[in-house]
Amino acid sequence: MPKHRLNIGLDRFSGLYLWAAFILIFGLWVPSLFLSMSTVHLVASTQAVSAIIALAVLVPMVCGQYDLSVGANANLTGMVAVVLQVKEHWPLLPTLLVSIAIGLLVGVVNGFVVVRFRVNSFIATLGMGSVLTAFTLLVTNSQDEPVPLSAGWNNMTQYPVFGFQVIIYYLLAIALITWWVVEFTPVGRQMRAAGGNPEAARLSGIRVNRLSWWSLIAAGAISGLGGILYTSLTGPSLTFGPNLLLPGFAAVFLGSTQLQPGRFNVWGTMLAIFVLATGIEGLQLVSGAEWVGDMFNGVALILAVALAASRRGKPTALRRRAIKTKAGQQEADSMASAQDTAQAGTVA
Amino acid sequence: MSANEAQNNGHRASHNGPGSTAVSWGVPGSQPGTLPAVEIRGLSKTFGLKTVLDAVELTLAPGEIHVLLGQNGSGKSTLIKILSGYHHPDPGGIVRIAGRELQFGSPASSRALGCRFVHQDLGLVETSSVLDNLLIGVGFPTVTGTIRRREAARVAREALARVGLATDPATLVGALGSAERTGVAIARAMLSEDGMQPVALILDEPTAALPVNEVERLLANLRATAGTGAAVLYVTHYIDEVTGFADRVSVLRNGVLIATWPVPGLDRGRLIHQLIGSELEQVQRLETPHADTRTRPPVLAAADLQAGPLEGLSLEAWAGEVTGICGLTGSGRESVLGALFGALPRAGQVSVAGKTLKPNRTDLAIEAGLAYLPPDRRTSGGVMDMTATENVTLVNLKPFWRRLLLRKKLEKAEVAAWFEKLDVRPRDGISDPLNTFSGGNQQKLLFAKWLRETPKVLLLDEPTQGVDVGAKAELHRQILATARQGAAVIVSSTDLDELVTLCSRVLVVRNGRILEEITGDDLTTTTLNRSFHLESAAAGNNGNENA
Repeated sequence: MPKHRLNIGLDRFSGLYLWAAFILIFGLWVPSLFLSMSTVHLVASTQAVSAIIALAVLVPMVCGQYDLSVGANANLTGMVAVVLQVKEHWPLLPTLLVSIAIGLLVGVVNGFVVVRFRVNSFIATLGMGSVLTAFTLLVTNSQDEPVPLSAGWNNMTQYPVFGFQVIIYYLLAIALITWWVVEFTPVGRQMRAAGGNPEAARLSGIRVNRLSWWSLIAAGAISGLGGILYTSLTGPSLTFGPNLLLPGFAAVFLGSTQLQPGRFNVWGTMLAIFVLATGIEGLQLVSGAEWVGDMFNGVALILAVALAASRRGKPTALRRRAIKTKAGQQEADSMASAQDTAQAGTVA
Repeated sequence: MSANEAQNNGHRASHNGPGSTAVSWGVPGSQPGTLPAVEIRGLSKTFGLKTVLDAVELTLAPGEIHVLLGQNGSGKSTLIKILSGYHHPDPGGIVRIAGRELQFGSPASSRALGCRFVHQDLGLVETSSVLDNLLIGVGFPTVTGTIRRREAARVAREALARVGLATDPATLVGALGSAERTGVAIARAMLSEDGMQPVALILDEPTAALPVNEVERLLANLRATAGTGAAVLYVTHYIDEVTGFADRVSVLRNGVLIATWPVPGLDRGRLIHQLIGSELEQVQRLETPHADTRTRPPVLAAADLQAGPLEGLSLEAWAGEVTGICGLTGSGRESVLGALFGALPRAGQVSVAGKTLKPNRTDLAIEAGLAYLPPDRRTSGGVMDMTATENVTLVNLKPFWRRLLLRKKLEKAEVAAWFEKLDVRPRDGISDPLNTFSGGNQQKLLFAKWLRETPKVLLLDEPTQGVDVGAKAELHRQILATARQGAAVIVSSTDLDELVTLCSRVLVVRNGRILEEITGDDLTTTTLNRSFHLESAAAGNNGNENA
């Protein structure tokens, strides 16, 4: 069975199959718990912030830059928004503007370090994440803050629209904008080129450094927004940020094997977030175990990168053409028979 | 014969002991009546309905250097993959290595029988020493698990000497030139775990990544290798270096081995005809009357250019003219075009149509009308994972940006037209990643990328390196057409034939400056070569004076 799944996993729609399989399995297993609208609503809104953070990871990834500070950034901005309201009694709007501005500023600094000091983005943002965690503790005096008691603050994410909490529509909006920028604008194309081969991009007149910088700024702003939405939806916490980082990367890498294989892409990432969440939710309903989420996300990240790597070994377009033209028929046949053998072996 | 027997025989051969260079069962080549090193009989391979190899017959004598010429898609890769035990041929074919039958589909059998391969990607670790690269596969000589350094160095030096290299085994591979690296890969291939002497060395496109002046060194290595009694099969689509060194040459076209000829007395024109199956249209350089172009101001003017080895180089280029740049490795030739474009950091003045360019700003250089094709497609030319279309349109997406969306239909239509115009194959590949195309077609696509900008100045660094004859001719036609339409073209190349074919004048670079300008009837490979020799003579004199 595992080998069989691996074969389907190489397909660009495997995520959809997997999603359907999860729904089928858990639907049959615990129908009363799993097959309810409340489960749908729950998964949608709890995963909205993860998905927004995943988009924050995605944007610089397209440009070839890692941003490992998105989680800590979200935590800081989320807590700043709480502190400003609870301790400083700021009204909602300036709170939001200042908090997002902090997220954006973090992106500016990340970009500065990466572009001007030529520090590898992996290292630069890893360090920045730690610095931001320190700031979070400074700002909050290491104490969990009480929930701000303003209706606007809670309604901002929790207000129901068509049965779903409104936060899911924010996610949709951010995803649509990101999709548009990455896929349908010259800037998006240039980002991809910079990510694919920075030197070739530079020699094609693309200002790679400037693009990288902007992509890190965008990541900062998006994760800042994500952090505020998290504290509004779930309440203040000193530790939620780091927990968002790994699922975000898992989704981005898994997403790069989906829909547009070999490319970091928005809808693949979204698909991955919700497939993983559905699996985790189902397993938690069945077993009640706490460790399922961490296990699932970790395995998914490793598996996703392994899949992406195996894809890089064999370019899909080549394989497609080999199967399309009759020249490759025999190779396709032998591949299929190998697949059959593998299945027969595992069934037996 | 089973694979087991073959293995056993291989082991029997090992009784000569490690380090022995004696031929244990191979036979010196020139003697008549000895076993051929490689004997291929009736070898066919079909994929589905397509015949890739059609009853190929080929015999290699020990100690022979044999060139197998074929265009992309002629079946040469399939042949190599059968010999290396990767592909199974159709039933009926036979391959014998030194008289013993090759077990198809078994890389172990291929190696045990004495076949060795060097691929275009040499598979060397650049950050490791030559010694480590040589011995990592066959194992280091050890005492209680510790490497015997002196013994290892001796084995490595011997292996290098066998292929005619005097490289210090402690050198890092990254510090070697491309020819020397290929030599190291050959030396590694010719080593065996058990000291057995390889029977055949098969090289797959070894010169695709080599500058022309480095090819000579590689050929010396091959002659040394053949001297040990191994047959060398040199598989390439590059016709030009064939005549210099091979004993015999065979042409493979559409899976059919057309014929084999001895090299002495071979006619190049006939060979090309056999290779591509039709006459190649001769490319003629532009007869630019100098007085005519020079009445106008130059389009490109560079003064006191400093970048890397360049020391105050100045040059000018006129519209409608193809200017060549040549020079030995280390002369600064490699840096000239990159410095002009802004690919390399530079000091000095560069202006296009009277407008001064900022250094390090490729975007402004392109805006001013400059276009630059870098010498290495993979590392700096194309984004290999992106599609052909995306690569071609990367420099300028404005025509497709309408009402807030990139219009991909318009984009694809324009690229499809370029596929047609430059004869890029496969025609339906416009949405395939660049790395799925052959080298020649990749280069055509990168040409299209710049030609669609109709540049004022087109800078071409090694424009046809690693490109097959057909694509090369097409690219040459495009270069001349671009100049005819009013661009100033500058070609920097190690391929002297190419410079003579294309350029109306060639600038010779030495010590980071332009040494002389060769034009008109003087412009032949002979004069260019002589300018090199003058250089080295001058350099030798300088050395003497210093001493």
